[in-house]
Amino acid sequence: MAILSRDVYKEFEDVVGPENITDDPALMPSYFNTEHAAIVLPGSTKEVQALVKLCNKHKLRFRAICTGWTGMFPRGIVLFDLRRMNRIIEINEKNMYAVVEPYVISAELQAECMKRGLNFCIKGAGSNCTALLRGHGHMDQTTSGDDRNHLAIEWVTPEGEIVRTGSLGSSDEWFCGDGPGPSLRAILTSAVPPGVTPGVFTKAAIKLYHWPGPTKFPVVGHSPRYTLSHIPPNMMARYYSFPSVEKMWQAEIRIGEAEIAYELMGFNAAMVAANITTCNEEDEAMFKRLSREVQGPGFFIIIAGNSADDFAYKKKVLENIVAEAGGKSLKTVEDPEIEGILLCQCIRISASIRETFRPGGAFNSIPIMGQRDLTIKWAIGAGEAKKPLIEKGLIVDDGGAFFGWGVEHGHLGKTEIFCKYDPSNTEAKKAVEQWQKEQTARAFKERYFALTMGDQTEIGPALSNYHIWWQKTVKAIDPNSVTTESGPLV
Amino acid sequence: MIAKERLVKIVGKHVSDDPAVLEEYSRDISFVHPIKPTYVVYPASMAEVKEIVKLANETQTPLVPVSSGPPHFRGDTVPGTGGAIIVNMSRMKKIINVDRPRRVAMVEPGVTFGELVAAATREGIRLNMPLLPRKTKTVVGSLLEREPVVMPKYQWDISDPVACLEVVFGNGEDFRTGQAAGPGTVEEQWAVGGVQKAPYGPGTASWHRLIQGSQGTIGIVTWASMRCELLPSLEEPFFVGGSELAPILDLTAWLIRLRMVNECFILNNVALAAICAQKWPKDYASLKQSLPPWVLFYNVAGYEYFPEERVKSYIKDITAINQRLGLDAVQALSTVSAIDFLRMVQKPCDDPYWKLRYKGAFEDVLFLTINDKIESQIAAMQEVATRAGYPTTDMGIYIQPIVQGTGLHCEFNLFYDPDDPVEKNCVKALADAAVKELLARGAFFSRPYGDNAALILNRDAATVNMLKRLKNIFDPKYIMNPGKVCF
Amino acid sequence: MGLEQYQGDMNMCCRCSCCKFIPMQKVMGPQFSYACPSIAKYNFHAYSGGGRLNIASAMLKNGFNYTDKLLHVVYNCQLCGACQVSCNYAMDMEVLEPITEFRFKCVEDGKTSPALDKAVARLRKTGSMLEASGRRGDWAKDLNLKDATKEKVDILYHAGCLSSYDKDAQKLAKTTAQVLQKAGVNFGILGDAEMCCGSRAYQMGYRDDFLKQAEKYMALIRKTGARTLVTGCADGYHAFKVLYDKFNFKKDLEVLHTSELFARLIKEGKLKPRRKVNLAVTYHDPCRLGRLGEPYIHWQGKKIPGDKFVFDPPKPYRRGTNGVYYPPRDVIKSLPGIKFTEMTRIMEYSWCCGAGGGVNESNPEFSIWAAKERVREAIATGAEAIVSTCPWCEQNFSTAIKEMNSSLKVYDIVELVARAI
Repeated sequence: MAILSRDVYKEFEDVVGPENITDDPALMPSYFNTEHAAIVLPGSTKEVQALVKLCNKHKLRFRAICTGWTGMFPRGIVLFDLRRMNRIIEINEKNMYAVVEPYVISAELQAECMKRGLNFCIKGAGSNCTALLRGHGHMDQTTSGDDRNHLAIEWVTPEGEIVRTGSLGSSDEWFCGDGPGPSLRAILTSAVPPGVTPGVFTKAAIKLYHWPGPTKFPVVGHSPRYTLSHIPPNMMARYYSFPSVEKMWQAEIRIGEAEIAYELMGFNAAMVAANITTCNEEDEAMFKRLSREVQGPGFFIIIAGNSADDFAYKKKVLENIVAEAGGKSLKTVEDPEIEGILLCQCIRISASIRETFRPGGAFNSIPIMGQRDLTIKWAIGAGEAKKPLIEKGLIVDDGGAFFGWGVEHGHLGKTEIFCKYDPSNTEAKKAVEQWQKEQTARAFKERYFALTMGDQTEIGPALSNYHIWWQKTVKAIDPNSVTTESGPLV
Repeated sequence: MIAKERLVKIVGKHVSDDPAVLEEYSRDISFVHPIKPTYVVYPASMAEVKEIVKLANETQTPLVPVSSGPPHFRGDTVPGTGGAIIVNMSRMKKIINVDRPRRVAMVEPGVTFGELVAAATREGIRLNMPLLPRKTKTVVGSLLEREPVVMPKYQWDISDPVACLEVVFGNGEDFRTGQAAGPGTVEEQWAVGGVQKAPYGPGTASWHRLIQGSQGTIGIVTWASMRCELLPSLEEPFFVGGSELAPILDLTAWLIRLRMVNECFILNNVALAAICAQKWPKDYASLKQSLPPWVLFYNVAGYEYFPEERVKSYIKDITAINQRLGLDAVQALSTVSAIDFLRMVQKPCDDPYWKLRYKGAFEDVLFLTINDKIESQIAAMQEVATRAGYPTTDMGIYIQPIVQGTGLHCEFNLFYDPDDPVEKNCVKALADAAVKELLARGAFFSRPYGDNAALILNRDAATVNMLKRLKNIFDPKYIMNPGKVCF
Repeated sequence: MGLEQYQGDMNMCCRCSCCKFIPMQKVMGPQFSYACPSIAKYNFHAYSGGGRLNIASAMLKNGFNYTDKLLHVVYNCQLCGACQVSCNYAMDMEVLEPITEFRFKCVEDGKTSPALDKAVARLRKTGSMLEASGRRGDWAKDLNLKDATKEKVDILYHAGCLSSYDKDAQKLAKTTAQVLQKAGVNFGILGDAEMCCGSRAYQMGYRDDFLKQAEKYMALIRKTGARTLVTGCADGYHAFKVLYDKFNFKKDLEVLHTSELFARLIKEGKLKPRRKVNLAVTYHDPCRLGRLGEPYIHWQGKKIPGDKFVFDPPKPYRRGTNGVYYPPRDVIKSLPGIKFTEMTRIMEYSWCCGAGGGVNESNPEFSIWAAKERVREAIATGAEAIVSTCPWCEQNFSTAIKEMNSSLKVYDIVELVARAI
């Protein structure tokens, strides 16, 4: 049964046109199997604003999505699918920023940037997701991550006002998102629930970074085995394994301090195997092979020089650091074909799907942002705790590994650990959820970190009662409570 | 008005109503209207700050937080209304932590740059400093003002180098931002190997961004941690002078884009002479005369591994860019050597503050902008100055690339004699006219100080509206530095 | 089994949206980054490969709830397989098969498109979906071709419905025959006895009609004794090579596209392109010659219980790797004077011309919309002409170009070869 009366539906329809709205129940399963009041496809900021105002008028809750990879959406909301807002507004080469609408995916923006010798932070969700997403990714060493890449943002507030932050509001320029006075970037973000900024980001400026590589990768072959015809000049990818986590960390921090890594991704052998193989069976065999080849934990690294001298210098430093830490280069990755595949996987695709969804169709993850050495200490235990699940055959065997990387040349970091499993296996699902719960609780109890996705009444008080401040903030900007708490803007 | 005893109960003898002290805090070297505070209190702990804020809430008493010592320049520490209490944080001067492996330091608000630079150097790390802060300037004060820093390569985000903050909000509740928020106390975090480094969170928000730039209108910061950089093992600084700004801007953009230089900024001959002149006024005049109109300063550095090779390779690449742009890098300009200048800008300014040396007072007109616009904005400023009768040859200009090249901080230093009412009025009129003219030409006054704040903020009603909603949460009684920014 | 056999595959969809775009490392900017005409035109996620699986999966569980909008989703898809390629770069799961099965299910349940019903009714009645005037073999009059029903030939040339009946497309059949004659190939045709291959009925969702056609037609082909079948129609090629194999009609019949045969003949020196064809061209890969033209792989197996979506024996996926991509390009490049430039979306991630999946018949406006998108892409290369290897593509591009008032020319590869020899 339709949630909206025909009159109300008509009001929404008048904003976007009949071809851009539906409440047809048969289409709902493609939007998270939820019965939405309607799905609307706004094409402009003005349309978003009008839709939000209608939501306020009729006290209807709404949530916007970009490509809409994941999300939990309560019944009865008006879902804004921002698909029609897909324009790159500007790429400002001299001032190193790009302005995009929400449905520009990272692969599109990156390709345009590379033509200009620029790049940006492709988030770990993949280059198939919106470019304006907040988050971390493979190239965080050089492109930063988390909330640190946004500049000015055009934001339709939950009441339907348009706020243009920073320099945009004052001088119609996108280069700065902070001020005048306190920065609204404090609350303007897109992230995992709870606590997604209410409202809709309709345009955002994001920081760009120099790209020392080619204007486009020389990709040859056919899907699913695209390779590079040659490794671009002044560029190299390697995987190093180390005798211990401590040695690996020692090398990682020195590489950060030496500012030589274009990318440093603490892949484990299982993730390397997933990325360089084209199907599950190949993956399994490759994992076995790589497991024999590595001497312990390791990382994948890309070195890219602005010139031949710069590259030679970086390479020399890398080799020294690795030797000092007893690191060993994985021969498999030294093969130029594999090296090329990984360059593309990590820079252009941002890996992800092969290593997460391909084996069983699902994974549960514990991602932690912040201080890398601290979170590694925790992750060792979380990895050990995976092993009984592997032995029981409930999760995919990855050797109990975790992964992570340094951000901004090791100033900050990201560590993550996940279990891959078949979601239709209820025993596996239950076991994975239990593992997730226990390891998160241990992190909290032992003062490593707190995941803010859990029960706020327990976590909030231990974190300066931030949840109360956030609730007050949401109330202040969304007095009619028309936004929902769940659903990342992916 | 609060009875003095109530403050004494909180801070003991560290409260003053001495008229001379109150007079000192009633004004600064800006054109802001003087208003005398009723007390100056000097808390020594976060607990005391909380008590003060609670008392202020009870009695609806304005609080003006101050951390740096005099002289003050921007009007932000002058009470905006009568009956205010100055909360002077200078007694809280502990350097809480300097951690080389994690490249982080943590200080209380009374710690000055001179103090922290020395402590950090001992550990092998350094701060990303603003350009030559005055000797009395505190680190926390500068961080909270979002002052531009001289190494844009290491400024990934405009909030850098701030990591975490402990703050007492205007409603009296304390809060820790970023990683410091928890779980556990700061000490408990240390015990497990944690430091207070990651700035974002807890949760979705990045709370420190709300406190920065607020001029003390949201709360009082009781410590701040900040990211630090390694001390280089080899440094080779250079000047590039020129009469045209465009190629220098072009070079600067490339140096930052390729991340080849640490310290990197542009000064005009006036500002550089004001900084470097030893004997006044003779040296100043001759130095100003002998310097090219525009000077870019940059520093190529190497760290632990093969520093010579790194520096050599960067210099080679930079030379290629210079040749393309028709520019020359030199190690000395006139009587100023680049290495001496580097050592100078890696520390706070010796007394007297360089902006006071020429005439004893100054007014800064400062804003953010982008490469595409800055030249026309400088031209506009020069026109306005000429119209106001202010000699453009006396105007200092400082251009600081920010946030890894996504923008520029531009600062016009208008030096004047504070005892010459004609000159003073001329500069005041000029500063007001300049803000108007520059606003019209797309300048972004991200740090709106003094009387022009309203003019600046009126351009963006939507942002002001949203900021006010947030203000109502954190300082519902508007006791924190009323009259500043848009509150 | 029908749709049910793909429940596991459909559950594997992680909603990543890759199916909407060409493979990520092939994306060259916001222009020409979309892979699927359906989602590109209609925007609701339901129109994407993943969205279709989400809906089919939910309906398998909760019952089929046919609405007009749902049927619009179902029938406005060219079944071009771009979603499958983009998905299968990273995932092991079937995409196009369940989408096709869902359409079969709709037809079985009587939830059909009137336009498609009409076309299929015509097939049942006349043996062709086209409104035919004249006889099927009329195009070959005066060409003096061997009648394969009467004479033994090495190669049987299948002209296909469009090249047989359509006045504009007949030139393709004629020219092909003339080129083969010049190359001295021992080939014949079936003339009036030629049949519809059934491909388009299959695409429209009428599986039984396809099977009937295939069974009838293969009996006739076998009777001729020809061991090789050649066609210039990508739909036909896909039917004979892939679908007939899938349903075990093909046996040991060798199926070649004319472009493959031409490439072979050029290589063997039997065709010698000598005359200059001064033309800047780009090449459009027809879906059913390209990604969908790769050989069918027979497989039967069971999911291995446990943590992964894997099978015993390992399941091979048709990911578009082995489509017919190079023979047409080799032929084009062998023509003197040709300047060849690739478009952004090529080979396995080529953009569909819009004509497939019954869309031509059910929603011509959408069909031509897709063709226009391709024409724009061709124009962006600077080419004077777009070359294809399927009469359906050529027909769609011609209409699009006319509506766009563009000066771009359209050629079938056969026409260029004929000009060069």
